[in-house]
Amino acid sequence: MRIPRGELRRSRVVDDAAAVLRAVLDEELTGYVVFEPQDALLLGETTSGVVTFEDGIPVLAYDTEREVGGRDGLEGFAVTGPTRAAVHAVDAAALADAHEVEAFRIPPGEPARVLAGDERLAERTVDAAPAARREEGRDQSAVEAFLADADAIEEIRSEAREEARARASEWGLDDVLADDARDSAAIEPGTDSR
Amino acid sequence: MVEAFAVASGKGGTGKTTSTLALGMALAEDYDVTVIDADTGMANLLFHAGLDDADVTLHDLLVDERDAAVSDAVYERFGMSVVPCGTSLAAFEAADPGRLRDVVAELAADTDVLLLDSPAALGSKSAVLPVVLADRIVVVLQPTVPSLSDGLKVQEYAHSYGTDTAGVVFNRVRPDENVDKIAEQAGRYFGGQTLASVPESDAVRAARREGKPLLAHAPEDPAADAFREAAARLDVRDGDGRDVAERFKSAVVPERI
Ligand SMILES: Nc1ncnc2c1ncn2[C@@H]1O[C@H](COP(=O)(O)OP(=O)(O)O)[C@@H](O)[C@H]1O
Ligand SMILES: [Mg+2]
Repeated sequence: MRIPRGELRRSRVVDDAAAVLRAVLDEELTGYVVFEPQDALLLGETTSGVVTFEDGIPVLAYDTEREVGGRDGLEGFAVTGPTRAAVHAVDAAALADAHEVEAFRIPPGEPARVLAGDERLAERTVDAAPAARREEGRDQSAVEAFLADADAIEEIRSEAREEARARASEWGLDDVLADDARDSAAIEPGTDSR
Repeated sequence: MVEAFAVASGKGGTGKTTSTLALGMALAEDYDVTVIDADTGMANLLFHAGLDDADVTLHDLLVDERDAAVSDAVYERFGMSVVPCGTSLAAFEAADPGRLRDVVAELAADTDVLLLDSPAALGSKSAVLPVVLADRIVVVLQPTVPSLSDGLKVQEYAHSYGTDTAGVVFNRVRPDENVDKIAEQAGRYFGGQTLASVPESDAVRAARREGKPLLAHAPEDPAADAFREAAARLDVRDGDGRDVAERFKSAVVPERI
């Protein structure tokens, strides 16, 4: 993939990709960010990827090591932990050609979701996107991929269970908790029988 | 009283109110149905049911020294008993959410099926009460990641209070979307069954503008068919009316938030 070289705005190691995505959204960057997960480096792997933006909204993702684009590309450099993020500004006109590559395009909320696991930021990004781009969030393959990740789903569920339990006591609803919810020890991760 | 369902989603705009009234009308063919707008913070069922000018609403039943009887807030519309909620913020603030239990208990005493249109949020006692009080939830989802994720959360809240999942309605499904695969995958995490896949339809919005439930405004619309199918799949359980009233009585600590 050819992305026109941009003007480097800043390059630093951040604890998580969400901070960069948020900043880029707020400053409405048109350009790209190169991500280099640092933990992958420690393991002796080079991992890096690029996400391009139009007015702060993600457009393309590309794994520069594996040379894969789109959602699969994004997953290639979704490594938790600190990442070096180099933010570049590019002229919108100069990016237009690259942005035509349909196969590399991603729904606007995906980088926040995949790189940072930040559903809130994903939603904020989608809300800020132009109407036509918001539709892309309904990428069926993204929904299927989400549902295929049983571990991530179990995490959402167990977090919600804990939250429900904590709030029940806040609200004086302890008494009406189901027996197995009251006794936290009885909850086994992965239970989805009910 | 047979069973109380909370129609829930965790996220706004998925079609809870639309679904509540559509399922209510479909179930009213076979049951005595009462529909309650339990979304007391963002009530909008009244607009969907042509009750914008209702004098007495649920809000009037939730205040400390109320002079309205429960029956004053019940309106016979479209073959159902409808209990709308007002939209005034002041009334919401004056309302004691704990009182919803008594109101629901009283309404439960002489109806077969109770449908609670539930709030989109989970952040307050009044928002979770419908899910606490119901026997089972019907989860209304759009085939998107945020909606599924919020639906999973609401289900966990419900299960924590011993409220099971009756099933899932996929709503606002586009013609180019095939929800079969998504429904099959989602079925691994959601309880109950996939009740229906309701297409995105202009008739739904038109019905809302008319202040009529979809099944009254456009009974022939494919979306109406889908909701009727969902209602038919909902295996309403025979419960002992007395048990339910008792359970509501002991259910919620009547304490202010
Ligand atoms: N199947 C559908 N097709 C088209 N529009 C729909 C459909 N279901 C709901 N809507 C519209 O979406 C909006 C939100 O629906 P509503 O039932 O009020 O959702 P909720 O109660 O979950 O906030 C309304 O304008 C409604 O007319
Ligand atoms: Mg509603």
